[in-house]
Amino acid sequence: MNSLLDSEAEPDVLIVGAGPAGLAAAAALSAAGIEKILVIDRDDAPGGLPRFCPHPGFGLEYCRWPHTGPGFVARLLKTLRGRAVRIECATTLLSLRDGPLAEIVGPRAGLRLLSPRAVILATGIRESNRGNLLIPGGRAESGIMTTGQLQRLAALKARLPNYLRSLVVVGTDHVAFSAILTARHLRLSVKALIGEEDRVMSYAPLAWLARACGIEVATGTRTQSIATAGGRVRAIEVADARGEREIGCDAILFSGKWLPEVAFLCGSPVEIDQRTNGPVIDQAMRTTCSGVFAAGNVLHGVESSGWCAVEGARVGASVERYLRGEMDGAQGQAEFARSSEIDFIVPQRWDDQLTHLDPKIRIPVTLRVANDLHKRRLVLLTDQSEIPLSRRQAFLRQRRAAVDFNNIGGLGAQRRALITFA
Amino acid sequence: MSGRCQVAIIGAGVVGAAIARDLSRYDLDTVLIEAHADPGEESSKGNSALMCSGVDVPAGTLERRLVQRGYARYRVEAPVLGLPIRKVGAILLAWTADEVAVLECELALGREHGFENIALLTADEIYRRWPNFAPGIACGLHLPDEAIVDPFSTVYAYCLDATENGAAFRRRWPVERVERNAAGWVLHNGGERIAASFVINAGGIRADLVDRMAGFQHFTIRPRRGQYLVLDKSARAIHDIIAMPTPLPGYRGILIAPTIFGNVLVGPTAENVEDREDRCVTAEGLAQLRQAMAKMVPKLADQPVNTIFAGMRPATEFSDYQIIPRYEDNWLTVAGIRSTGLSASLGIAEHVANLLIPRVFDAGRKEHATAIRVPDLSETSIRPWQDGARIASDPAYAEMLCHCERISLGEVRDALAAQLAPRTLSALKRRTRAMFGRCQGFYCGARLQSMFEAHEQSLGQRG
Repeated sequence: MNSLLDSEAEPDVLIVGAGPAGLAAAAALSAAGIEKILVIDRDDAPGGLPRFCPHPGFGLEYCRWPHTGPGFVARLLKTLRGRAVRIECATTLLSLRDGPLAEIVGPRAGLRLLSPRAVILATGIRESNRGNLLIPGGRAESGIMTTGQLQRLAALKARLPNYLRSLVVVGTDHVAFSAILTARHLRLSVKALIGEEDRVMSYAPLAWLARACGIEVATGTRTQSIATAGGRVRAIEVADARGEREIGCDAILFSGKWLPEVAFLCGSPVEIDQRTNGPVIDQAMRTTCSGVFAAGNVLHGVESSGWCAVEGARVGASVERYLRGEMDGAQGQAEFARSSEIDFIVPQRWDDQLTHLDPKIRIPVTLRVANDLHKRRLVLLTDQSEIPLSRRQAFLRQRRAAVDFNNIGGLGAQRRALITFA
Repeated sequence: MSGRCQVAIIGAGVVGAAIARDLSRYDLDTVLIEAHADPGEESSKGNSALMCSGVDVPAGTLERRLVQRGYARYRVEAPVLGLPIRKVGAILLAWTADEVAVLECELALGREHGFENIALLTADEIYRRWPNFAPGIACGLHLPDEAIVDPFSTVYAYCLDATENGAAFRRRWPVERVERNAAGWVLHNGGERIAASFVINAGGIRADLVDRMAGFQHFTIRPRRGQYLVLDKSARAIHDIIAMPTPLPGYRGILIAPTIFGNVLVGPTAENVEDREDRCVTAEGLAQLRQAMAKMVPKLADQPVNTIFAGMRPATEFSDYQIIPRYEDNWLTVAGIRSTGLSASLGIAEHVANLLIPRVFDAGRKEHATAIRVPDLSETSIRPWQDGARIASDPAYAEMLCHCERISLGEVRDALAAQLAPRTLSALKRRTRAMFGRCQGFYCGARLQSMFEAHEQSLGQRG
């Protein structure tokens, strides 16, 4: 497959991002007999974020049993061995245009314009940092960072300044607990997890465990400011219902508050959803740029690596259908509206022609609620009908609610349906 | 690291570095002394990054004269040094009748002093050219010559130019004590000493403390903090002119300006603070910045913020610059360069050189100067990854390290290998722009840090 970059040969499929979604998409496509698949990744090795998380809990939805992050990556790469897939690391997608035309740059590819038949965007997510979150206070030479950055530092065996001994994690979702493990590995003591919400966003037992280890888990607590002295972090200032206080620490980790990595789409024909900050897709995972598909965490923050891999497999199957001429590259025109209780819905669009798609090919309708809801039933309202989508159940903030509906028919003449709670 | 020289310049901010550069053109033994590990670590790194023509500086002041001269020189000399400059223009906005009157007066004054191309624009004209301004503007004063520059590379270029032309540079050399002797002064830092016939105090935010060490007490630094926020590059599609409210006496107000790196900068606030090190961002400050956006360009409110920071302006109780030659004492103070230091730097340097030569040193001008060039980090330059020939000759320019700013491994490697190499991670950031983007190091921070550390270690091994 060396010819992909070295000669004029164009890949049939360009997959951008070699994380769980991208690798699983490549596996699905190659298993279906599609050749000339090029996966590019901007990092120096494939695997995406799980690469930096050497603890269990990865790949569950995709494999039969959970792996460590690097273990899951190895599992995905093993599937691709001997397949017609080329993975090119240290290679960046610069821009994307109608065609699709993809401009890439890398030490082996050079600067070049590819015109593959299909592009799969699987670029994943990053965490919001202190600036994004507008947290006031002082600046520090080191000691204010995101979990991802700390995990990369650990993986690169970079030396942390000696004065960094204790840290506070802002956020209480899964990655905050992953941060505890990384911190322990780096011999940093975690003093507290700080969350604005009134409960821990990850699983409650993890919080019990953390507390058992002497880590304060403070919910309903706002991060006010960062106190520094002499260019070092001195404390984090927080406030809860009882008032304001300081928690002394040498480092502050901002975790979670995920943002899809879509900077290269600025000015491209791929429409971005203002709610998810990721590409707008339909149930076949087609974006608004014909021939360009998207899967995994780039769609919205944050899903587990296993879930992303499952989405990768689905987008692979969808692209295969497209390449075989069984499906159009253009996105469906109908769209979902959401009630105010719903934070976002993916897919945002719907193709009335594809109502009986094999579940291996389409993405289930996934949504997140803005606040915890209990004993509510989700319904789909079109101008003709009201279709129940769920039983009466709880919908929790930051937890996936995936609704698999296929036989709803079209969304009606209005080509618009409201997803709401009854 | 003791030694002796003819001129010791205390402070390698933009002003001290510019002075060192100008003096390096003469047969003079000059040393530039910096307390921090890298040049430009204080006021020179936390400012609005504007190159002002001087039109909005009060006429008749030394500041006006030196800003004008600095601007004229920068336009000619910056391109030779590889430094970018983009004339984006500025607009002062008026909402009330009082403000309109102020702008009319500014227009008349400006025209009188030779700023021919400034113009009062009607609201219609403003909205036609910049449709994203909030409704309600009465008129605006357009200053087409105002420009944006790279403040970090400017200091680096001046220092590099000075050292390549013979000036010595001492980093991590905080002057702790000064002592007069028959030949001039001896500066102390721990056990090290530098003897100098003449001292130039360009101590910026601590210039008053340096003066006091020598027994001079003409002014006190009154640190004025300015908070800023930097919007992501997507904001640039909405806003591409330096916009500011009608100035109040002594305060220019919060401006919204494009940066040479392709972002939009909002700030500064103006707060007199006690502690000259207190570069904290506050909730109140951020609220003021958001208010300014809402008032001028409300569409910017939804734009992602990349980073927030605060700078410190070295103001004094006097409104004008405090450039005080004390010939009998072999001491020259260059202080109170409040907020126009970057614009005026080359004007100040020339002024200082003229004060010293030939009166203090009858030094001849060198016949040859070594030309230096620093990498152009501006968004509109041809980046190394865009240069096919460069990538072909060295693939390290095609391997991105910082994806947000598109900074390659090759550029970081070059910055670490360059003369006056950065000795802190934050200096490396300023030298390359890596980690300056929207992710602020989520992706590249660890790699950049490990590259930096490997380099520091190799320096350590070499001694």
